[in-house]
Amino acid sequence: MHMCVPRLTVVAVATVLGSLGLGGIAQAQHWPDEPVTFAGGRVLLAGDASATFGSEDPGWFTYTDYGTTSLRRARAGLTIEARPWRRLSFLTEIRAQTGGGVVPYAWYVRVSPIGNGVLDIQAGRIPPVFGAYARRSYPQDNPLIGDPLGYQYLTSARSDAVPANADQLLKMRGRGWLVTYPVGSPVAESGVPLVVAGRWDTGVQIRVGNPRLEGAVAYTVGTLSYPLVRDDNHGKQLAGRIVWRPVPAFAIGASAAQGAFISHDVLTARSDIPGGRYDQRAFGLDGEASWGRWLLRGELVANSWKLPPLDQPLIADPLSTLTGYLEAKIRMGPRLYVAARGDQLGFSTIQGTKGAATWDANVSRVEFGVGYTVRRGLLVKASMMNNWRDGGRVRQSRLAGVQALFWF
Amino acid sequence: MLRSAPFRHAALAGGLVCVLLLAGRGHGMAGAEGAIRGVVDLRRTQVTAEARTTSAAMGMPARRPAERRPAVIYFDTAPRGAFELDESARATMDQLDETFVPHVLAITVGTTVDFPNRDLTFHNVFSLSKTRSFDLGRYSRGHSKSVRFERPGVVQVFCDIHSHMNAYILVFSHRYFAVTDPSGGYAITRAPPGSYTLAVWHEGEVRERRAVSVPDAGGAVEANFVIR
Repeated sequence: MHMCVPRLTVVAVATVLGSLGLGGIAQAQHWPDEPVTFAGGRVLLAGDASATFGSEDPGWFTYTDYGTTSLRRARAGLTIEARPWRRLSFLTEIRAQTGGGVVPYAWYVRVSPIGNGVLDIQAGRIPPVFGAYARRSYPQDNPLIGDPLGYQYLTSARSDAVPANADQLLKMRGRGWLVTYPVGSPVAESGVPLVVAGRWDTGVQIRVGNPRLEGAVAYTVGTLSYPLVRDDNHGKQLAGRIVWRPVPAFAIGASAAQGAFISHDVLTARSDIPGGRYDQRAFGLDGEASWGRWLLRGELVANSWKLPPLDQPLIADPLSTLTGYLEAKIRMGPRLYVAARGDQLGFSTIQGTKGAATWDANVSRVEFGVGYTVRRGLLVKASMMNNWRDGGRVRQSRLAGVQALFWF
Repeated sequence: MLRSAPFRHAALAGGLVCVLLLAGRGHGMAGAEGAIRGVVDLRRTQVTAEARTTSAAMGMPARRPAERRPAVIYFDTAPRGAFELDESARATMDQLDETFVPHVLAITVGTTVDFPNRDLTFHNVFSLSKTRSFDLGRYSRGHSKSVRFERPGVVQVFCDIHSHMNAYILVFSHRYFAVTDPSGGYAITRAPPGSYTLAVWHEGEVRERRAVSVPDAGGAVEANFVIR
């Protein structure tokens, strides 16, 4: 869907930073430990850059919707926040990423009309409301190198092209990195993950809360798995999330989203497409607990895409998926931590001519890693993962990578 | 003072250690004690750290009132007999409103610093400094953990959960130092007569050094600084 030719991101990163006058920071006498402020604190700059190098991934287990693997990726981001008034700020994040060029990843206005952070309204290309991982997908918030499967793994579902029957869908099992279907776009492109963590949707978000209880609702033009800047189907998505922190050591969140998934081009590709809603629906539960040197996180997402039933054998029911991960991080000292994540992604069964099968191949992943803080704002990570899939050309893949990460 | 951060810290630590060696080299202890007072005028105001701005934040972070960051003035060389320190001294660095309070703490070697958490959220205080590295783990409101500082030098303190939280602890092997008050004023008292070098430290680097003399008759000596 979003396959781009990989570029020399190092050049792009330098271009972004240079064009924004950050060359001075690179030449400064010491690295900033905190955001850089100007104009009496009315303008804030924060940045991060990471470079990851790892194994080749012939099974495409770690590929993202940017068309690149998360094990071979360079990324730099610069966040600029301008606060002309106390209750109003403009935020933008400019990101350069392998396969993605230089893009304004986020740009929105944030108004806080009452209280000190009690109520916020955000409008523009806004952060995702659904789930816990999407807002902590920045490398410094991820103790490992890989992303959870639900936020990265490319399924065989597409919004701009759909199978006419169950057999055509089953033919694409385990090959979400390059999918073709006869209805809609004829171009072979990657499928979508359940939730895209790397690109954001456009719309309005209202958040109300305090440190113990927080809720947010967003109305956007795209969906969780296919965020958009411009609407492509005259449908909208409604997403919400609530987080409860009964004690500082524990947080539990629940999320839900529903939005029109199938693009207008598909809906008009054939005259016999039945009317109705072809939505993506998702429900999520997440939790975080910490004590001493331990941090535990887990998340469950149940998702479904409704496709138009066209030819026999029909895809009558929504295509369901269930994914979950459990992640632990232990600080071994001021510089060193170890982390691990167990992850599973499963698909519902459909009936084809040759029998029943899951509509995409189930995937599992276990990842172990270490992180070493060289200095404040400079972290080096190394991780190893094992992936299993019950379909496709490559059924198992052991991968490893190292990542250097700088932020201020 | 265009030095790299590690070098600056090493230089300060070295300077503090050199005090031990230089003590007694012509610094008199006879005569009345004096004081050195003055004002450090920081022209480029450093204020309280802002939370790291992130486009992924669900809402607008709470704003804290801006607070000028202090400077530390100290003797680069100290008089003989300056090292009779109270080994049981204690000091406190609070965690309040996602800020270390105070932002700069100046102590003598042997001091134990308590780090109480007064916030509703967890904090994880740690330091990577060579002078004293430590990691106190996560703990909640109402709990406190302590660290004893055995070596002179600069210790930069962070929170692993809140990346904007940072503070400095300057550990001296003598007692001739002062942290500026909110208006920039300072006073180093009970200084024996003699010639000294005063150093002004601010946010990780020595910004100025100046020679001062406390006369044999004692009394107050004024030394003002303008740091641009």
